[in-house]
Amino acid sequence: MTPTSQIYVLTNNSLLLDAGQANQGDVLQIQKKIWALAAHLQHTNEFTDIVPGMNSLTLYLKFAADLDKWQSALAQLWEDIEATSFKGTHHNIKTNYQGEDLNYVAKTNNLTPAQVIELHSQATYHVLFLGFQPGFAYLYGLYSRLYIPRRDIPRTKVPKGAIALGAKQTAIYPAESPGGWQIIGHTDTKLFDSTQPNPCLFKPGDTLTFININAEQGE
Amino acid sequence: MIKVLKPGVQLTIQDKGRIGFRHLGISQTGCLDPYAQVIANRLIDNNDNEAVLEVTLGLCELQFEADTVIALQGADLNASLDDTPIYPGWSYEVKAKQILSFDTGRAGLRAYVAIKGGINVDEVMGSKSTDLNAGFGGLAGKALEAGDLISIASLDKPTKSFVKRGAITPPKLKMIRVHPSPHSLLLGNALIEQFTKIAFKVSHNSNRMGLRLAHENNLTHSHSLDSLGVSPGSIQLPPNGEPIVLLNDAQTTGGYPLLGTVIDADLHQFAQFRPGDSIEFKFVTLQQAALAKQKLNGHLSQLSLAIAHSQQ
Repeated sequence: MTPTSQIYVLTNNSLLLDAGQANQGDVLQIQKKIWALAAHLQHTNEFTDIVPGMNSLTLYLKFAADLDKWQSALAQLWEDIEATSFKGTHHNIKTNYQGEDLNYVAKTNNLTPAQVIELHSQATYHVLFLGFQPGFAYLYGLYSRLYIPRRDIPRTKVPKGAIALGAKQTAIYPAESPGGWQIIGHTDTKLFDSTQPNPCLFKPGDTLTFININAEQGE
Repeated sequence: MIKVLKPGVQLTIQDKGRIGFRHLGISQTGCLDPYAQVIANRLIDNNDNEAVLEVTLGLCELQFEADTVIALQGADLNASLDDTPIYPGWSYEVKAKQILSFDTGRAGLRAYVAIKGGINVDEVMGSKSTDLNAGFGGLAGKALEAGDLISIASLDKPTKSFVKRGAITPPKLKMIRVHPSPHSLLLGNALIEQFTKIAFKVSHNSNRMGLRLAHENNLTHSHSLDSLGVSPGSIQLPPNGEPIVLLNDAQTTGGYPLLGTVIDADLHQFAQFRPGDSIEFKFVTLQQAALAKQKLNGHLSQLSLAIAHSQQ
């Protein structure tokens, strides 16, 4: 069954496909269709940018003259596209789970630090979309037992590579920045390098797992 | 080389910005007034997209270490070459050791300096623009500082063929034309209609990421959305009811409802609004927006014709 979508004309050369509204549907399943549609549209070479959001896709056309064509084509494409027709890359993120807030997270959620690490590193996460900073991925797949409110007072500096929890999300900070999430670990994996031809490690639709680097040492 | 003596409020290297990387969270950046960039470049036979210097508010001093030709465009920030006043819309010969200085202006915020042959910095993801938030592009990914040296192209044949040229700046507007909101149902017609009746004031809290708009009416709401793609021109309405017009350095996704999107032809005006300036909005159709764009492009074509003519 295809979740409904709504198509909006934003400007003379941009369109928004919103498949999230009013859907009680499966967020990940809808997002898989978004990635598949994005990949399909990429091949047409008719867009300057194709930007997935949360269950939405914003399209920036090269030529305003094609607006009508795409406005009518999109609804049909959304019907036809298969969620399974897109496969992302999988990444293993070596993680040092000695974050500043690990103990706080464990205590608040009635877990031991080891259980927090286990829950966090067991899951496979999907990169729903990127935003906020270059290479910053909005991840899907966090166990609800790790949901935790943001810090009352945000840190002025969250270090590059920090792995953190906030509300129903987990994320890796690609660069140092202010932030209010709870830091549970760190990674040396570079998420963004402006000098590389592919500047970001993650793309929308990729998957990742966090690998506990201390586990092998037989703690 | 150009030596930065004083950068002023914010001095950056910008071209048209980065295209094709928004899905990775990479901002467009680039000149806030791309028309000023193009006109300045055309005045001295540069490519349209050659990087230029974006001067914010003024109070900036640059010393040239070699002879060259420059063009000024954008806001009139009372520029001088040594002690001689120079004006936006004109090209000028510059001799080594001369100092280009900007005071401030009575209106407008950003001036653009194009340099014959362009600015020699590496392209990052297809652009020389400085990404101030992410810290790359331009010169070391930062706004220029006193003492910085900007590498410029050297002139083959100094100034023999120099033709001083002027261009008229496209007209300024206070009424900004906007594409309708995709979230009008959510926000409600009353709120959307009110939006078009308010005279907003540009708030001090504005920068290259966005322009915040203050007012005394009530546009507050309690809606939050799933993040969606946003771009320069998107008008976000946070729950506090103070709209933000996103500009070139804005992030690529956001979760606030949109009041609409500024039409392409009017977006460059936002480079020149200063805190306290007044702005109003009106909704237009796609056809009206396309016509406005045509008109603006017509302005540029006229300029090209005039330049071609002056070379005969």
